[in-house]
Amino acid sequence: MSLTGRFVNKAGLTARVGVSLLAIGWGQASLAADRNKTPSIGGTLVYLEQQTHTNLYPPAGGFYPNGGILNQITDKLTYQNPQTLEIEPWIAEAWTVNADATEYTFKIRSGITFSDGTPLDAAAVAKNYDTFGRGNRELKLPISEVINNYERSEVLDPLTVKFYFKRSSPGFLQGTSVIGSGLVSLATLSLPYEALGDATKIIGSGPFVVTSETLGRELTLAARKDYNWGPAKLAHQGRAYLDTIKLIVTPEDSVRIGALLAGQADFIRQIQAYDEKQVEDEGYRIHAPSTRGVNNSVVFRPDNPLVADIRVRRALLHATNTDEIVSTLFSHNYPKATSIIARTALGYTDLSSKLTYDIDKAKALLDEAGWKVGSNGLRQKDGQTLDLSAYESLPQPQNKETLQLVAQQWGKIGVKLNVLTGDSGTATVNNLDPSKAPVSPAMVGRADPDVIKSQYYPTNRNVLLQKGGNSDKVKSFVDEKLNSLLESLASEPDRIKRLAIAGEIQSYVIDQAYAIPIFEEPQAFAAAPYVNGIAFEAVGRPSFYDIWLAPRS
Amino acid sequence: MSRYLIKRIGQAIVVLWAAFTVSFVLLQALPGDAILIKFLNPELGLGPEQIADIRASYAADVSVPVQYFHTVANFLTGNFGYSIQAGVPVGDVLVANLPPTIWLAALGFMLAVVVAVGISALSVLTPFIWVRSLFRSLPSLFISTPVFWLGILLIQIFSFQLKLIPVINPGPWQALVLPVLTLAVPISAPLAQVLMRNIDHVLTEPFVAVARAKGASRRWVLWRHVAKNAVLPTLTIAGILFGELLAGAVVTEAVFGLNGIGGLTQRAVTNQDIAVLQAIVVFSAAAFVIINLVVDLLYPVFDPRLRSKGEVVA
Repeated sequence: MSLTGRFVNKAGLTARVGVSLLAIGWGQASLAADRNKTPSIGGTLVYLEQQTHTNLYPPAGGFYPNGGILNQITDKLTYQNPQTLEIEPWIAEAWTVNADATEYTFKIRSGITFSDGTPLDAAAVAKNYDTFGRGNRELKLPISEVINNYERSEVLDPLTVKFYFKRSSPGFLQGTSVIGSGLVSLATLSLPYEALGDATKIIGSGPFVVTSETLGRELTLAARKDYNWGPAKLAHQGRAYLDTIKLIVTPEDSVRIGALLAGQADFIRQIQAYDEKQVEDEGYRIHAPSTRGVNNSVVFRPDNPLVADIRVRRALLHATNTDEIVSTLFSHNYPKATSIIARTALGYTDLSSKLTYDIDKAKALLDEAGWKVGSNGLRQKDGQTLDLSAYESLPQPQNKETLQLVAQQWGKIGVKLNVLTGDSGTATVNNLDPSKAPVSPAMVGRADPDVIKSQYYPTNRNVLLQKGGNSDKVKSFVDEKLNSLLESLASEPDRIKRLAIAGEIQSYVIDQAYAIPIFEEPQAFAAAPYVNGIAFEAVGRPSFYDIWLAPRS
Repeated sequence: MSRYLIKRIGQAIVVLWAAFTVSFVLLQALPGDAILIKFLNPELGLGPEQIADIRASYAADVSVPVQYFHTVANFLTGNFGYSIQAGVPVGDVLVANLPPTIWLAALGFMLAVVVAVGISALSVLTPFIWVRSLFRSLPSLFISTPVFWLGILLIQIFSFQLKLIPVINPGPWQALVLPVLTLAVPISAPLAQVLMRNIDHVLTEPFVAVARAKGASRRWVLWRHVAKNAVLPTLTIAGILFGELLAGAVVTEAVFGLNGIGGLTQRAVTNQDIAVLQAIVVFSAAAFVIINLVVDLLYPVFDPRLRSKGEVVA
């Protein structure tokens, strides 16, 4: 459907050209104005989501449609302040961590209940983390990506729980604040994985409760009147301002935007950069919170001999004009990448000096590596052509267009990049084969340096396709140095040292030219002018707790 | 009669089994499977051992023939399995998605019949030739109109500009007006085309000339003599159009954000959600069989010549 959607959107966009431009700082200005008004209680927010949610087992909350629901109905042990990225109290009012980060003790706030009436106490928290940390084979519940080295829990008293880890797990505290660590009731945890796609079965302690669901179509969330345990440092305490949220799945881009502008919806997710102007021209607001993780990038699979030579990878890095990509396809909401992680991410190091666009250098590097321009204009060596392929990633914004532009840019130095699309099965299988996909798009959001390990470590997402990971097609490629750096990142208890390691990894990945970072990926939302108090958690999932509706003018 | 019915039901069972088996084999032949797509996706970030565990827990590692007999046995007992992608039983998914599609398809089809009959009648009865040829060219226009474009156009005009019908949160009837209209247009085109051609053909038959010679009006001849004769081939086309209805529903449901079999099929295909796809294939095959049976039983109602064997009395 996306193709048809894009066609229509572009048509709609040109039809509206000529309307006056709105100042960029508008969003900030109106946010400041929000604070001067008194929130009013009540009302229904109509929220249009692009995709149907899938399984709502909390560790599967990384998928945006899932996160958008789980963030309203579940609470987390801790709260990561989206501005400072500091970890603040929420369900846990206090905690202690031992020196080598192998033991964490949390004191649970009293009087909290799940929406089925059962208490959210130390025992419930312990059961949640035992499940997320170790999985449950019988119920087919997989383990959570954000919890490393988990061993066991111990309930010290009804409101105190202690977690033990096999090795240092410094990322765990932040891991307790993420969307994938939403706390659910014992009843929910006793269900098999296959039953957790039904939102009404996800019983959390959050400010909203799912009251009804039409599978694949819509979801009604109602505010819990007795909710009184929001993050302790928030100005807003007590129940959510809204009475109801109606979440309606509307896959077609132009229908979501049209419905918002026609006053049939209040808040929508997923707006492509080329539609932003149309929305802002009408006085509506674009919100584009950063996902604060690994930037939208193109990565190489050095197991493929064509990109095994560092000079080839470096040449392609310098042949990629990220400025052109950002200015042609995206907007100011998509900042150009200056490292493999976003500048708002923890541990960020500015590497823009190493990420220059330099076509002469690129050509020289390829010449040096022995790749000469052949009669067909493509680089050749020993009878082989420098002909690479990458599969489009559907969830990333305009990924196909991005890759096609990269292909054009690489074409200037005589390298061919085939941008492939396939059904999900073919794409998933082939993308695990370095010989079929020597190049791949990649990104992931999470506001902790652990995210770098998630992305590159062989037994995690393994984007470089090292041996020993999720692909059996890899012949030999392993980078021991990278892996040992990643391991120390995930287990260094000292914060300063840990951030230094994060910096070292960023430089290493760019020096090796394993990845070409392109832009910092936001999640784009649009809201009607009367919707106030829009907030996002640290990696861009909306929180509706603070939202209130002013009278429509 | 009963022998005829038993024969038809026997055929239906064979068709259903064949549809089931062919789709099973084809789905197995595709690279990857739903578990791979779901769990290997970066969304969960699972390691290889965990994925192997999950495969074992879904019994995805047993041999294909064993899986086949399991699935057949489960289907026979009404157990359609679980949708791996959505995380709910396939039965629940069908219950949520079948009724809206049946409504959409039934109303869309009825409207298409009305439109087709209207166009055909006007193309014969209108006094001016240029108006007649205008009506005659409508089916070509209708069949070449892209459904998604029409749907978005109708939404833009009636919902966003004129604000007559909300597309978000509509009432139960409001929700159907624009989608039914969208779906009816392309369905009505082949119906009208076949109907017009048959009317033209029947109009040249000698008995029409006789009726006209006896003083019957054009309209009288059309309704009393021609229509009944022209409707038979149209009925055949109508049975086949069911496939078009499903295909049209995929687009219509996506544009209007309706839940239904169309959208469900699209998602299931994208994610190779085999349990859901198998259920949809069997359901569609069953619907085809039933509709064609109904069409066959309707022939004698319209054409007394087919009743002569005395086998079928509708």
